[in-house]
Amino acid sequence: MRRNYWMYGAMGTVAALSAWVLFVGLPGWYPTSPLPDATVKQASASVDGDFIEATLFYISDDGMALIGFDRRLARQTEQAAQARVILEAQLAEPPTPLLSPIPSGTQLLALYLTEQGDAFVDLSEEVMIGHSGGSLEELFTVYAIVNAVTTNLPTIKAVQILVNGQEVDTLVGHVDLQRPLDRNMDWVTEPEETSTSQQSALQGVNQ
Amino acid sequence: MTHRLTFAACLLLLAAKHGGGQVAEAPLILVSTDGRQSVPTVSFDGRRMVNVLELAAPFDLTITDDRQDSRLSILQDDQVIVLTANQGLVSVAGQLVSLPVPPVERSGVWYVPLDFIGRALPLVHDQAVELRRRSDLVIIGDILVPQVVARYRTTGPQSRLRLMVTPATDHVIEQELSRLVITFDADAIDLVLPDVASDNLLTRLSGVETDPALAIELGESFGSYTSVREPAIGGGIELVIDLQPTTATTTSILPAPVPAASAPAAAVPDPNLPALSDLARPRAIRVIAIDPGHGGDDTGTRGPNGTLEKDVTLGVARRLRNAIESQLGLRVVLTRTGDTTVALDERAAIANNNRADLFISLHTNASIRETAAGAEVFYLSLAEYNEKASEATGQPVPVIGGGSRVLDIVPWEMAQLRYVNQSARWAETVADELSLRLPMSPRGIQQAPFRVLVGANMPSVLVELAFISNADQETQLVSTTFQSAIVNGLLRSIIRYRDEVTRGVPLSDQAATSPPDKLDTNQR
Repeated sequence: MRRNYWMYGAMGTVAALSAWVLFVGLPGWYPTSPLPDATVKQASASVDGDFIEATLFYISDDGMALIGFDRRLARQTEQAAQARVILEAQLAEPPTPLLSPIPSGTQLLALYLTEQGDAFVDLSEEVMIGHSGGSLEELFTVYAIVNAVTTNLPTIKAVQILVNGQEVDTLVGHVDLQRPLDRNMDWVTEPEETSTSQQSALQGVNQ
Repeated sequence: MTHRLTFAACLLLLAAKHGGGQVAEAPLILVSTDGRQSVPTVSFDGRRMVNVLELAAPFDLTITDDRQDSRLSILQDDQVIVLTANQGLVSVAGQLVSLPVPPVERSGVWYVPLDFIGRALPLVHDQAVELRRRSDLVIIGDILVPQVVARYRTTGPQSRLRLMVTPATDHVIEQELSRLVITFDADAIDLVLPDVASDNLLTRLSGVETDPALAIELGESFGSYTSVREPAIGGGIELVIDLQPTTATTTSILPAPVPAASAPAAAVPDPNLPALSDLARPRAIRVIAIDPGHGGDDTGTRGPNGTLEKDVTLGVARRLRNAIESQLGLRVVLTRTGDTTVALDERAAIANNNRADLFISLHTNASIRETAAGAEVFYLSLAEYNEKASEATGQPVPVIGGGSRVLDIVPWEMAQLRYVNQSARWAETVADELSLRLPMSPRGIQQAPFRVLVGANMPSVLVELAFISNADQETQLVSTTFQSAIVNGLLRSIIRYRDEVTRGVPLSDQAATSPPDKLDTNQR
């Protein structure tokens, strides 16, 4: 009987240790072992001194698509730090008349990158609570985040969204978040379809 | 078949044993703001009666049988109705109400005459209760029930149907296979039909049990119809429908079947995708699973006037169930029948456990842009599950007696992967039929990684009926006309899909697995 307690104790310790390694140790390592700096988007985003031009995603005039806007963001040497800057810009309230596909107040709680090219983006619960609940907007919320990371950081192939540190089935009942999602530009319309009002807003944003 | 006969025989025996001369009669239809439900009636010595237990739920009655002195007490809140067997006088909240015939008690089951509903229940129910015997309707609360009186006359080669509708009510005429259905924008209709002798143009007139609608069964020489609406004396309208026979020059108004060639032709199958999505064979359509989106704590989206998605989806699902059961005779499974919270995976599991042959999830959309409008049909996209899909296919497995064979192992929680091509056809059919009746979004048909579809082991679609965030569409979503259009579109798509499967029409080479053109539906 007593031996059994010993075994449970040992198993518990092993489990606790593995959990620490998985959830605290590993995530801690990844950001400090960045992929080469050259992986930061360079093809279309011209690296201009201390800035990169990153494409972020907002809701089109008719509400039926995402539109991409290039925004100037602070350049980071580390991949994880760059991803964080991009995501924080994507989550931030955009200047009018741009409309964010992400409920306001949503915070980036944590970000983990794996060597396989997956990013785990941990968001605060506002992403669920403040959501309109429509499936199309849920697709826009999810793919704005997935595309913002994968478009601007090509070495990241897929993004899984977590909420309050937990895996979730969906945000509001439609889009499957049980696995990392690849970039998907089906939800994004061509830039020439965007309105002039939004383009002039963009000019302001990039100042 | 034998089982069914035995079952029917048992029912008959039971009925004979308990009935003591009772004969089943046409049901009463109870119409309220919550919808329609039917209540069976029976007759004793030619008098139509209804089992009081059937009235308990619709009128919120609590029934206590006091066996000692052959009385039945019925409670509604704190008001009491007391029935006494074989006495035509009933005590209703302290008042005496007389019934044309006394209640009947048979083996502990109490039956009351129909007038009990019209005379006793209004005294205790908190809403108006009206019994319309001519049309077997019970109208509960403040709802719109116009009277529709039909007359039919044949003149020469054509014939004319006149409908007097009082008060004036909007209507929609739709052709479904060999019948015309006239649906009124009302909660129910009080229908008065003539005895029609069947002819070559029209074989039968009847009410549609589940809808405020009149069905005209068309004869073999029917070719086309015209309809005119005119104001009538007394504030009503007269609807004149002329039926014309086919001639060599008259073209049929039947919707032309959509040729396979109209499917997007440019699509090329992705060579990287496994043939997994072709693995499942199409099977006969016997059971339809309807998934009313959201429910319980999960209200779904909310319209600017407060309409909740969970209520709209449940309302449409119930109407669709009634229409499928009564018009197609197929079994229908709802993933929720009330306002309850049901997990996404459980919804697919309910469909799987009931061996449903088609799955349809009903939703309403929302957008931050108030003008966004239109219906959308989704089926599962494979791309997100590609890795798992590749892992799951083409695994050679050794077999007894030597050698090996390739086994298609699909993880149970991703059963839908095997049906994506069939789901694509099912989605095309649904989008086609809806686009004839409803405004469609510019993205009429799409693929997305929707959780509720992943586990479904049958061709499956998710339909966004309209944008509830758009005030006009919110109003439409709760109207009878719009809901009837949805139900008719979905009903018609089930018929078409079933017919194609029955005839063995092969899946066209349209790339079900590649994303459809966004503007596809608009251009068609």
